[in-house]
Amino acid sequence: MAISKEDKIFNCVNYTVLLIIALLCLYPFIYMLALSLNSGRDTLRGGITIYPRDFTLANYGAILRDKLILSAYKITILRTIIGTISNVFITALVAYGLSEQRLPGRKYIMIYMVIPMFFGGGLIPYYLVLREYRLLNTFWVYIIPGLFSIWNCIVMKTSFQGIPQSLKESMRIDGANELQIFFKVIFPLSLPMFAAISLFVAVGHWNDWFTGAYFVQKTELVPVQTYLQMIMTRDMRAFLEKDLAVKMSQELMGKDLTDYSKITSFSLRIAAVLVGTLPILFVYPFLQKYFVKGVLIGSIKG
Amino acid sequence: MKRSGSTPKRKMNYMVKVYSWNYLFILPGVILLFLFAYIPMFGVQIAFKDYKIYTGIWQSPWVGFKHFSFFSDSYFWFTVRNTIILTLYRTVINFPAPIILALMINEVRNEKFKRVIQSTTYLPHFISWVVVAYMFNSMLALDTGVVNNLRQLLGGQQVNFMGEVKYFRSIIVFSGLWKSVGWSTIIYLAALSAIDPQQHEAAIIDGANRLARIWYINIPGIMPTIAIILILSMPSILSAGYEQILPFVNPTNMEVSCVLDIYLIRLGLTQAQYSVASAIGLVTALLSLFLILGSNYAVKKMGQGGLW
Repeated sequence: MAISKEDKIFNCVNYTVLLIIALLCLYPFIYMLALSLNSGRDTLRGGITIYPRDFTLANYGAILRDKLILSAYKITILRTIIGTISNVFITALVAYGLSEQRLPGRKYIMIYMVIPMFFGGGLIPYYLVLREYRLLNTFWVYIIPGLFSIWNCIVMKTSFQGIPQSLKESMRIDGANELQIFFKVIFPLSLPMFAAISLFVAVGHWNDWFTGAYFVQKTELVPVQTYLQMIMTRDMRAFLEKDLAVKMSQELMGKDLTDYSKITSFSLRIAAVLVGTLPILFVYPFLQKYFVKGVLIGSIKG
Repeated sequence: MKRSGSTPKRKMNYMVKVYSWNYLFILPGVILLFLFAYIPMFGVQIAFKDYKIYTGIWQSPWVGFKHFSFFSDSYFWFTVRNTIILTLYRTVINFPAPIILALMINEVRNEKFKRVIQSTTYLPHFISWVVVAYMFNSMLALDTGVVNNLRQLLGGQQVNFMGEVKYFRSIIVFSGLWKSVGWSTIIYLAALSAIDPQQHEAAIIDGANRLARIWYINIPGIMPTIAIILILSMPSILSAGYEQILPFVNPTNMEVSCVLDIYLIRLGLTQAQYSVASAIGLVTALLSLFLILGSNYAVKKMGQGGLW
C-alpha cells in the first residue's frame, strides 16, 4: 500500500506531538536529578535545566547520614516486602477459590465483595475502627488493613478462569490437594499476571504517605514518603513538634562535613526525594513489560 | 449453571463438601472485608451519635441528626463549591486527554517508537503524590524554578505560581494530568486493539483518510469503554483526592485548596470532631453512590452498555 502525502503529514505531526508529550513526562525526573546533583548554593542562582552546573554528591552524602531517613527507608522496605507478599498470597487464594464457576453461593460472595467498591463508611469511621482494633501507631497498620484487595481479586479470578479445567482435574485425580494445585499449576501458569499485580501492590506500599502521616505518631514508624511530606511543609505535619529541617541541619553541623557550604535545606530535600524515588526508577525498565499485560487481564472483563 | 437431579438438597450438600477447599480459601477475604470494609460501614453510625473516645463507636449515645447541622454552615458550602470547581475543571481536561493520547498512540505503526512512548508516559504513574508535589514546587519556584527561568530568558516576568491562589487549581489539574494521562491510555488502547481491522480495510477502499477513520471507526469503537470510564469517574466529582492535594496545601492557598476531603480530614483527624466529619463523609458517600447509579442508568438509556 502506497503511503499518500496526506498520510505522511499525519505521521509527521503525530510522531512529533507524541515525542513532545513523552519528553514532558520525562523532564521533571531529569530536572530533579540535576538539582539533586548540583550544589545547593549554586542552585539558588537559578538557571538549572537539564544537567548539574556545579556537580556534587554532597546532598546525597548529607541526606544519607540522617538517621530518620534511614529508619524510614527500613520501614518502607519492610512494609513493601511483607505487605506485597501477604496481600498477593491471600488475594490470589481468594481469587482461586472464587474461580470455580460451579461453586454454590458464588454469586452471593461476589456481591458481598463488590458492595464495598461502591459504598464505604468513609475515612473517619475507618480511622476509629482501626483505633478500636489497636492498629494505630503500630507497624501492622501498614499491613493488615491492606491484606486483601477486591479489585486485584477480580483481575486474578478472571485470569484463573482462563486456565483449562482439565489441568486441575488431572491433578485432583492424582490426589493433589487444592493448595498443591495452586502452587504447581495456577501460580506458574499465571506468572506474568502475578508479576504485574505484585508490582502494583508494591508500588502502592512504597508510595503511600497518608497512612504514615495520620495513622502513626511514632517517628520510628514513619516510611520514606511520609518523611518526605514531613520535611516539605509545616502545617500538614500532624504530629511532629520540632522542625525537622532544622533538626536535620543541626545534626549535619555536628557531623563536620567538609562541603557543608554546598548544601542548602532545599538541595537536601531534593536529594531526599530522589532517594525515595530512585528504587522505582531502577526497577521500572525491567518490569514495565508486565504492566500492560496485567492491566489488560483486568479489562477483558470490561 | 443448571443443576439436575431430583434431590437438590443432597446435591447441594455434596457440592459444598467438594468445594470446602474453595470456601476455606475465600474465608480470609470475607473476614478481612468484614473487618475493614463492613465494620467501618456500620461504624458510620457515629454520624448519628455523640462519639466519645472512652465509650467507642458502639456505646456512644444516639443523638439523631444533630451533627447534620453542617448543612446550614456556610464554610461547608464553601468547601463544596471549591470541590466542584476543581473536579469539573479536572474532568474537562483530564477525561478527554488520555482518549486523545490513546488515539494518537494507536496510529503509530513503528512498534519500537510506540513502546518507547508508552513506557515514558506510564512512568509518572509510579511516582508518589508527595514527589509530584516536590517536582511541581521546584519547577514552578520563583528565581530558581525552570519555568520562571525560561520565562525570564524569553523576556517575560516571573510568576509566583505557588504563592498566588489563582494558579492553585491549574497546578492540581495539570500535575494530575502529568501523572495519569499515559497510564489511563492503557484501557483505551486495549479497546482500540479490539476493533476489527476489516472495518478499516473497507473504509480505505471507500477512500476514507486517517482522520476520517479515527472519527468514524475508532471513536465509535471505543465509545462503550469511554462510557464505563465516565461512569466510574462520577464519584470523583465529590472527592478531589486528598493524597494529591494535601502536599500542595499551605496556609496561603486555603481559600481555594480547602475542598471537602481536606475539610473532612481537618475536622476529623486534626480537630477530633469525629461525628461531624463522619456525617459529612456519609452524605458524600451516599451522593457518590447515587452519581454512579444515576450515570450508569443514563448511559444505559443512551444504549452504551454500562457497568451491569
